[in-house]
Amino acid sequence: MSPSLARKLPLVLAAIVALALPLVLRSPTYLHILILLYLYAYLTTSWNLVGGFAGVLPLGHATFVGIGAYTSTILSLQYGISPWIGMLVGAVLASIVGVIIGLPTFKMRGAYFALATIAFAEGIRVMTENIDTLGPFQINGPRGLQIPPLTTGFASFMFATKEPYYYIILAMLAGVLALTWFISRSKLGYYLVAGGEEPEAAQALGVNVARAKLIAMAMSSFLTAFAGTFWAQFTLYIHPKSVMSLDISFEIAFIALIGGRGSIAGPVLGALLLRPVGDFSRIYFGDTVPGLHLIIFGVVLILVMFFQPRGLQEPLTRIYTRVVDRLAGVREAA
Amino acid sequence: MLFVIEDTINGILMGSIYGLAALGLTLIFGVLKVINFAHGSLLMVGMYVAYWAVALTGLHPYVALLIVVPVMFLFGYLLQDIIIKPIFKAEKDVREPITVIIVTTGLWYILDNLSLLVFGPQYRNLQDNPLRGKMLEFGDMMISVPKLWGFCAAVACTAAIHIFLQKTRMGRAVRATSLDRDAASLQGINQYKIYNIAFGIGTAVAGVAGVALVPFYNVFPSVGVLFDIKCFIIVVLGGLGSIGGALLGGMIVGVIESVGPQFMAATWTEAIVYGLFLVFLFLKPSGLFGVKYDW
Amino acid sequence: MNLLELKNVRKHFGGIKAIENFSLNVGEREIVGLIGPNGAGKSTLFNCVAGVFPPTFGDILFQGDRINRQKPWDLCRKGLARTFQIVKPFASRTVLYNVMVGAFAGTDKRAEAERRARAVLEQLNLGHLADQRAGNLTIADRKRLEIAKALATRPRLLLLDEVMAGLRPTEVDEMVAIIKRLREGGMTVFVIEHIMRAIMALSDRVAVLHFGVKIAEGTPQEVAHDERVIKAYLGDEYAAA
Repeated sequence: MSPSLARKLPLVLAAIVALALPLVLRSPTYLHILILLYLYAYLTTSWNLVGGFAGVLPLGHATFVGIGAYTSTILSLQYGISPWIGMLVGAVLASIVGVIIGLPTFKMRGAYFALATIAFAEGIRVMTENIDTLGPFQINGPRGLQIPPLTTGFASFMFATKEPYYYIILAMLAGVLALTWFISRSKLGYYLVAGGEEPEAAQALGVNVARAKLIAMAMSSFLTAFAGTFWAQFTLYIHPKSVMSLDISFEIAFIALIGGRGSIAGPVLGALLLRPVGDFSRIYFGDTVPGLHLIIFGVVLILVMFFQPRGLQEPLTRIYTRVVDRLAGVREAA
Repeated sequence: MLFVIEDTINGILMGSIYGLAALGLTLIFGVLKVINFAHGSLLMVGMYVAYWAVALTGLHPYVALLIVVPVMFLFGYLLQDIIIKPIFKAEKDVREPITVIIVTTGLWYILDNLSLLVFGPQYRNLQDNPLRGKMLEFGDMMISVPKLWGFCAAVACTAAIHIFLQKTRMGRAVRATSLDRDAASLQGINQYKIYNIAFGIGTAVAGVAGVALVPFYNVFPSVGVLFDIKCFIIVVLGGLGSIGGALLGGMIVGVIESVGPQFMAATWTEAIVYGLFLVFLFLKPSGLFGVKYDW
Repeated sequence: MNLLELKNVRKHFGGIKAIENFSLNVGEREIVGLIGPNGAGKSTLFNCVAGVFPPTFGDILFQGDRINRQKPWDLCRKGLARTFQIVKPFASRTVLYNVMVGAFAGTDKRAEAERRARAVLEQLNLGHLADQRAGNLTIADRKRLEIAKALATRPRLLLLDEVMAGLRPTEVDEMVAIIKRLREGGMTVFVIEHIMRAIMALSDRVAVLHFGVKIAEGTPQEVAHDERVIKAYLGDEYAAA
């Protein structure tokens, strides 16, 4: 068996398992956990387009989740527009906001960019919490918006069971991973990496670094907003703290950083490793030791930055390749 | 009209405390060229240390400074030495020490949630401290006494830091390192020791701010988050690295917060502060007095 | 036609006059050298030409067009490429990746970029290092990589900033041969160099910069015997090899 085929096979198997899982796993609780796992893998992979490939540190990405969630919800509650369409509208809005944020800040040093994203994110959240109506739109401040579970079906993006949600988020995850793979092999991908590592050298080679970053930002915020709509339709209740909080922004960034930003597998690996840790500590220690999972995240983050600044995907990928090669009987080069 | 003057004065007083809180941040940036995202958490720790120092010993809050300042200095010194220095060394030649930023963000989370764990989420305050609720009558105006103390502490601290940097040998070493770390180390200055000291001083100043706040402000685990963002805003307004700028920036924010609600809803006051921050960030990132740093 | 024209270029940084009234023409398929003691302003001049910052005064014309305020990436598209004195490889990526970034300047397709990149690597004898991590290369190879990256953008004018520094004499000769081959292929080259051996062997004409002022211009032989030039270099360690 050729080495590249051997390495791809387990991934194909994993995909098949993922597709078959709901048929085997009947418990809604476990499905719920898996859905959230995929959701975070999706969010971190979308984040990675800017935070990984463009080499900047966006720490306010939850804003785009919020924009997506609120846009589709308001449009469907007040105007009866299908959430799928609302999803697209929200995504366009989010990418506009993303570009607005990026335009002045990409020229600055990394710390200032991070600061600006936090300031924007918190500013928008604070505003949302304090506004009841924005023109004709009902925002409801801190009380948030509730989606009444009336009509189920694909068109209304509302389902009685978890299974359809599972497949939708799985499809979204697969889509965003494929997109990341395409971009990494494309001119934009090369330009982003170059601009992130050595901006002056890249510029001398014809790379308009600022523009490449803006394109990445627009894409990333666009895709992140999709997750917001999904979240709204999944939980049927959104309020500023649940879709726009700094905690969510940080969790996304932390997971991507620990997993390994700039790589395709990194964010997904990070989510696979950390979400269960978070869920576990939330379930078993939530009462006695609140916030434990966040402490763990923080400690793991610092340790990873100490020893593997490129993330855990580097050693993990090496181990994976070695194991698979050994199993496939590939001779190691002398 | 009198209300506006009273509000302005109280705003300046409160703002000077904000400035004091931001002073440590600007100092750390000025020397290490790193924005310490965990600064709000350090302030929170300072407030808890101040709280416990007073609650357990019954001392006057400002006497408790004798405990708070050394403890916080040591805390900051060790934090820099153990956690930040290794990353710093690894990133010595990298154009932008993003990993350090990431580490301080992790630190933020650890400290905030650790204190939630250890101290619990309840709001604490020093009910019967000698400064609580005291007001000074100035004609028809009421000036808050604890804030006045805070103002004095802020001015004294700023002056002390200024003298330290300008007149003492160690202070000159700190300035040299912040201007050109390689040149300074060629002069025999151990740059990492300077970083430790700078971080220690910055944290100690956060402790002073904690003491200033504790007589009238509630203490709880996530108090740091509020101040963190505010400190960033102040430091950008005043100019990263500028001591006087931090104080001035703080006062600007303080006045806006104080006078604003007279004319508009409180949320819009907050929006103005954020808006001002973004305007400065985009148009004049070096702030009012900041050193022109290569953008 | 003159590919590059510098007319009365001045560059001031606040009170510092880095370049004072500098004029020079570079014709097609010429190799022009720029020499001068350290701090003379050579890299500053390159940065002006390459679009890193605009000149304070004067005109820079490339292919007849005024390019004073144009950005490096636009200039690259127009056919102006440069290397950096302190080499800046994309260290975490392979040599091939590095050169492909340059190759993408002329194409949108990955396969085509890879093809062009490999061709350039062969041209510079770097083919065997294609899959090596750029950060692991020796200094000599890094310098050649630097040129390869610029070459992949298919420039008409190549600005080389001290590509010989740190190389052994045999490596210097190799580099000279490479640059001469480039010129034979139609390239125009503008070189900053300290190593006299290289400049003398390479250049058709040489200009000498001293404290931002051009103090001499002519063939390498003329310049080497120019009294002002010798005075400027008096006591310097750069012996004409």
